Amino acid sequence: MSFLSTVFLKRGDSGEKVVAELCDAIEPVDIIDWATHWLPARDQCLNILQAANAPPEAYPQSAHWNWMDKTRSMQGLLALQGLSIRCEGRTQGLMRIDLASEQCQLESQRSQPMVYVDYIEIAPWNWIGPYFNPPRFRWAGQILLRAAVEISLDQAFKGRIGLHSLPQASSFYRRCGLTDCGPDPNYPRNLPYFEATPEQAMAFLNQGGSK
Amino acid sequence: MKFNIPASWYEAVDKFDEGVTVGAGGLAGHASPELAAQHAHVGRDDGRIAFYQFVTLARRGRGMSVEELASEADIDLGELLAMEQHDSHFIPDTRSVYQLANVFSVSRPKLMALAGLTRPKDDDVIGEAMKFAARSVSVQTLSDAERAILEGYVSLLNEKAKLGGD
Amino acid sequence: MLTKKTMTLNLTDAEMQVLEDLCAKKDLSKTAVLRQALRLYQLVDVRLEKGDKLVVENDTTKEKAELMMLS
Repeated sequence: MSFLSTVFLKRGDSGEKVVAELCDAIEPVDIIDWATHWLPARDQCLNILQAANAPPEAYPQSAHWNWMDKTRSMQGLLALQGLSIRCEGRTQGLMRIDLASEQCQLESQRSQPMVYVDYIEIAPWNWIGPYFNPPRFRWAGQILLRAAVEISLDQAFKGRIGLHSLPQASSFYRRCGLTDCGPDPNYPRNLPYFEATPEQAMAFLNQGGSK
Repeated sequence: MKFNIPASWYEAVDKFDEGVTVGAGGLAGHASPELAAQHAHVGRDDGRIAFYQFVTLARRGRGMSVEELASEADIDLGELLAMEQHDSHFIPDTRSVYQLANVFSVSRPKLMALAGLTRPKDDDVIGEAMKFAARSVSVQTLSDAERAILEGYVSLLNEKAKLGGD
Repeated sequence: MLTKKTMTLNLTDAEMQVLEDLCAKKDLSKTAVLRQALRLYQLVDVRLEKGDKLVVENDTTKEKAELMMLS
């Protein structure tokens, strides 16, 4: 059984706050949205980049993800959980977290349990970049990250979270106050690893981030 | 679990919202301790094998070693070695395909499609999504109303697929 | 959260000591430790069912050793 919570997204053009819902599961409607709306929108973005001869770093690094597979493999497993954000009848963001497989790496909390963010992705029409239209909605990523922290608290992990950032998003996680542990040599392509201590988690919950 | 986000948090977040697309998570081929082999794919496996065969033949046609190609294309040697295994389950990185297309002077969109990085025909994807929707949730757990909504959605997608719409 | 069920757990002194040690080490309650154990057991069990092996690797020497099969 999943729960819906009221949250708010910000319209990218007007700045107006819009009512949205945060679901503590990824449901079939989200997968249908991903298949029928995210994928065509993603292809449009890729076509724009190709037509503009955009450099490789402009390409969204999550462009090949398949949320059908990611969700199907989650089912029935206590350790894995999905979350989704929906607004105006469309899924705006998806996240998959792992409650058991990863442990903290920061020296101050080494081997403590954490909520590990396996995957987090925002709908293509919300992508930000010089080649794209202004995002339709903002804040979806922050809300999903907050949900990961709150689940960590709920599970008695004291807000500790960890994730390997797509390089394009590293500055976002720094702004959210996570510790940038640098490229992880144990991870393919040495993706940068970020982790939050309980103090950083509370700062993010209370202040939204840090300079 | 329910979430209750105070209004003040949105104001705070807005100050830090510097305009970066959020993303985190493993790229193609990564061996994380996650449960199943999570290979994100939207292309056909046979197309991907053809892509890997092309990479090998194109490299050998230029008399290059795998190391030389990785260096020239500025892509990860480990990823290129994985491609050379011709395993259809391994998904290449978007950037790597882009770089290889440049090195081999071939159409980037066509190489992306061959590598399975651009989506298949609408009805294939919609068909997959409908099968997933029908199988992924135990029907017994749905209420009568929820089951009706799901079946209605599936019917609607069937119609769209037949009409080739959207 | 779904409706919670309650069970009584009988542990030997040694098992309880291990549980308490893990609680201290992981900074978790007994319930939280047992929940983690259940999640991990399920993850491992599903992988083993698929034919995978559970292997540990020495980070320094890179030497691998297969753990006992749990299924």
